[in-house]
Amino acid sequence: MIPDHDPQDITRVLFDNFPLWMLTTFYVVAIGAIGVFLYGVWAQIRKYRRGMRAGAWSPFWPRFRTMFARVLDHKTIKRRARGAGAAHMFIFYGFTVLFIGTSIITLDHDITGPITGLHFWHGAFYLFFSLAMDLAGLSLLGGLLYMMYRRGWLKPPRLNYHRPDRSPEDPDYDRSDYRREDWAFLWALILIGMTGYLVESVRLVWLQNDPAVWNYRWWSPVGASLAQLMKGFGMTPEGAANFRMVLWWTHGILALTFIALVPYTKVKHIFTAMGSLMARDPEAKRRMPMADVEAEKIGFSLLTDFSDKYLVNVDACTKCGRCHEACPANASGYPLSPRDLVLSLRELANDKLSHASMPEGPIEVIGTEVNMIRPETLWSCRTCAACVEICPVGIEHLPMIVQMRRALIEDGNFDTILQPTLKSLQKSGNSLGENKRKRPRWTQKLDFEITDARTEPVDVLWYVGDYASFDPRSQKVTITFARILKAAGINFGILYEDEQTAGNDVRRIGEEGLFQSLAEANIELLNSCQFKTIVTTDPHTFNTIRNEYPEFGGNYEIEHASSMLERLIREGKIPQPANLDYRVTFHDPCHLGRINDCTEAPRQVLQSMGVDLVELGRSRDNSFCCGAGGGRIWLPDPPELKKPAELRAAEAAEIPGLDVLVVNCPKCLNMLEDGVKGTGNEGNFRVLELTELLAEAMGLDAKPKDEDEASETAAVPA
Amino acid sequence: MKILVPVKQIASLDDQFEMRDDGRDVDEDYLEKDLNEFDHFSVEEALLIKEAAGDEVEVVVAIVGDDDADDALRTALAKGADRGIRVWDDALANADGTSIARILAKLVEREKPDMVFTGAQSSDFGSATTGMALAGLLGWPHAAVVSNLEYKPGASSATLRRELEGGLEEVMTIKCPAVLSIQLGINQPRYASLRGIKQAKQKPVDELSLDDLGLDASDVAPAFNVRKMYAPQRGKAELITGSAAEQAARLAQIIKEIRGM
Ligand code: SF4
Ligand code: SF4
Repeated sequence: MIPDHDPQDITRVLFDNFPLWMLTTFYVVAIGAIGVFLYGVWAQIRKYRRGMRAGAWSPFWPRFRTMFARVLDHKTIKRRARGAGAAHMFIFYGFTVLFIGTSIITLDHDITGPITGLHFWHGAFYLFFSLAMDLAGLSLLGGLLYMMYRRGWLKPPRLNYHRPDRSPEDPDYDRSDYRREDWAFLWALILIGMTGYLVESVRLVWLQNDPAVWNYRWWSPVGASLAQLMKGFGMTPEGAANFRMVLWWTHGILALTFIALVPYTKVKHIFTAMGSLMARDPEAKRRMPMADVEAEKIGFSLLTDFSDKYLVNVDACTKCGRCHEACPANASGYPLSPRDLVLSLRELANDKLSHASMPEGPIEVIGTEVNMIRPETLWSCRTCAACVEICPVGIEHLPMIVQMRRALIEDGNFDTILQPTLKSLQKSGNSLGENKRKRPRWTQKLDFEITDARTEPVDVLWYVGDYASFDPRSQKVTITFARILKAAGINFGILYEDEQTAGNDVRRIGEEGLFQSLAEANIELLNSCQFKTIVTTDPHTFNTIRNEYPEFGGNYEIEHASSMLERLIREGKIPQPANLDYRVTFHDPCHLGRINDCTEAPRQVLQSMGVDLVELGRSRDNSFCCGAGGGRIWLPDPPELKKPAELRAAEAAEIPGLDVLVVNCPKCLNMLEDGVKGTGNEGNFRVLELTELLAEAMGLDAKPKDEDEASETAAVPA
Repeated sequence: MKILVPVKQIASLDDQFEMRDDGRDVDEDYLEKDLNEFDHFSVEEALLIKEAAGDEVEVVVAIVGDDDADDALRTALAKGADRGIRVWDDALANADGTSIARILAKLVEREKPDMVFTGAQSSDFGSATTGMALAGLLGWPHAAVVSNLEYKPGASSATLRRELEGGLEEVMTIKCPAVLSIQLGINQPRYASLRGIKQAKQKPVDELSLDDLGLDASDVAPAFNVRKMYAPQRGKAELITGSAAEQAARLAQIIKEIRGM
């Protein structure tokens, strides 16, 4: 490979023909830049440490490994943004190789060389190094150019900084600084890359007479091509030497400035994103944060209530807009975008926690002043977890929202319409203002008795849930499910009037004290019963019993109705259903699909009925919330806004020849039926529960005992 | 400066229920207990005055009831009342508004409040007598169904508005101390979170017996006695549809059925 030369000679000149003052200047500037960088890093860490210490980074190594794998494979960055994901990968790997390369030079020249006399940056190693650096530069520039094209021409809506939570008159509405920074970042890297190539090429022209350089020039293909071009235009070695000096300094100063500015600009996402990914809680979408209800205060009302992890989170946001786009509240025009919530917190933290000393007095987070989170923003959330699930850097918006809601609830700062609901939950364990005794009344419409699981052992304990017990439309599904279980010969029972809501929405609306007391009561009751597994038709109940009860000592095996039905069909306990000649689509409930990854069982049940399943545009993990979650089903939607369910119904209506929009959750049923009515699609397709469709395919008689007779109630004295 | 707010734990009914064996009340099992709706407003009114005055006002809530009634008391405490008093004696099982007023009058003697706010009435029995009787026993002025109140702690009089029949409203000044019966809607009562209610357990509650108040069973004997409580037979209604002739035929049939022909 290097026949005619001493490998020692095959290397690159660094500071040759630099006068001493120039060399000194370079080192002073370089050390200065590193100093500025280090100070910035320290100041950021000081900011984070002003939050509550949460221990979110331990155990360190396992977390580091997971983070490292995510950074290398770019999985989270590629999701729902393939072009940008690939471009980011090019930039990332290009940048990383260039960074490592430059560090190798420093190592050789400033550390191992002077200290031990060991030089390795020459010969074959140097040639491969050159090639790698050249290719890395191409990768970097290619990625950057695509990103420019994307921002400048493709202009995906998720990248515009439109804020739903502020109006243009508000002082903190403007995000044009971000836009300028985005472009400055791209340009800075492009210029650094391009000047790098130019320095290389003029060096080649300058040293064209040195065969130890010139003969090996093609190991730097880009630099060599440019050099060839420059020579063609008549550049002389002397001219090149002078030009090189200018370019070398331009490149050097640009690169050092870039490094110095890392902790002060969006470039810091390199570190904050890693920190955030490392602290990521994989359960964050399923389990809301535990709280000590006996403590002095509950929830986050002050900036200093936020943990260090959340402060890193909000600094890690790359404004990629994935959450902004996925958020049903934002899509329906509510004053919430998870991105803007995170960015407001970031601005607030930069403003209040970045200085040498902390500001006097408490730093309120919730309010109407600049960069504060407005209460109506917090109440707009449907707790669908679309934001948490898609965020490429592991930001946990939802737990932060719930924490802030806890403070609002404690303060009584919420829509008064919610009061009767919460009082009803306190008194009777249901959100519908119904007496406890009425809970099992739907069973009267059955022509058989359901076992009382409180007194008799059963195989399957059916946790019915609030809407399924009380909502007249859902009751029909509940009855149907009971009849399917009976037909399948399952030994099942219910908890009758002692069942209370499992508390999913109670926890997510922020009434943690009430949630915990419900959880404790329910667990005590469940523990007093004998059963093997739990089943429920309600994904909210499913999520909470499965993921939140273990923290309170309730460990149960629980199945959602869809998985159970799928299993019963597979095992032949339910006779193979007849084929239904329908074109259907399936709406994944957030708490089943995205939050608990149960996306296939309901589809298999549909398949077994032979229906023609056409997927919605947004399905499975990307399903679009019906709008009921997080207690929003208890709050009326303002008439001037589109309801998320209406957007969803309109999405379904786009499927030609659709017969049935299949849902799989009592709340989705409630919301989407309204959504279908609200969009005038009533005559076009029906909304049915998976269970109902299956009953139809099984030929179970749809109408049980006379309904009027059963709903007859005792007289009420006026 | 002190405001005394007597509250009541009321019972609400399910739409299916059974009567007690003696037929004089609903079976306890079918009742849900709660803080009287009106008392949410009287407590809130006292708390608003307290907050506006910068907390030098003490709000004391009082309840007559067995330990079951602690729940209602704690709800009021969770909202921000400073302390509670619960009075109970088995002799009070059938107490009426006047008996309760006698107990409250003794409490007023003990506590010496500057104002007493009661709810306009209870949402279960609705007699609206307790406040009135209390004012009578104390010889204090009384205003019923107060829908707006302007009162500065320590002032010698208060200005208030009352709802009258036919949409009329009356504005009056009243000498203090006074007993005011507070109407729904005068304010927006705050929510007591379950955590707040639990934490209210740490707030001081005096438990008093009739003895402690210098009363005996004969002082609180009710002036009336419930003889019977029952659900009246529900009437029937039917919408008759069809042509005139069909309607007439159906009507004739119904008349025959009722007359037993
Ligand atoms: S949980 Fe859903 S509604 Fe709430 S902020 Fe995230 S995406 Fe929006
Ligand atoms: S919070 Fe996450 S998903 Fe949302 S814009 Fe920031 S980085 Fe993207």
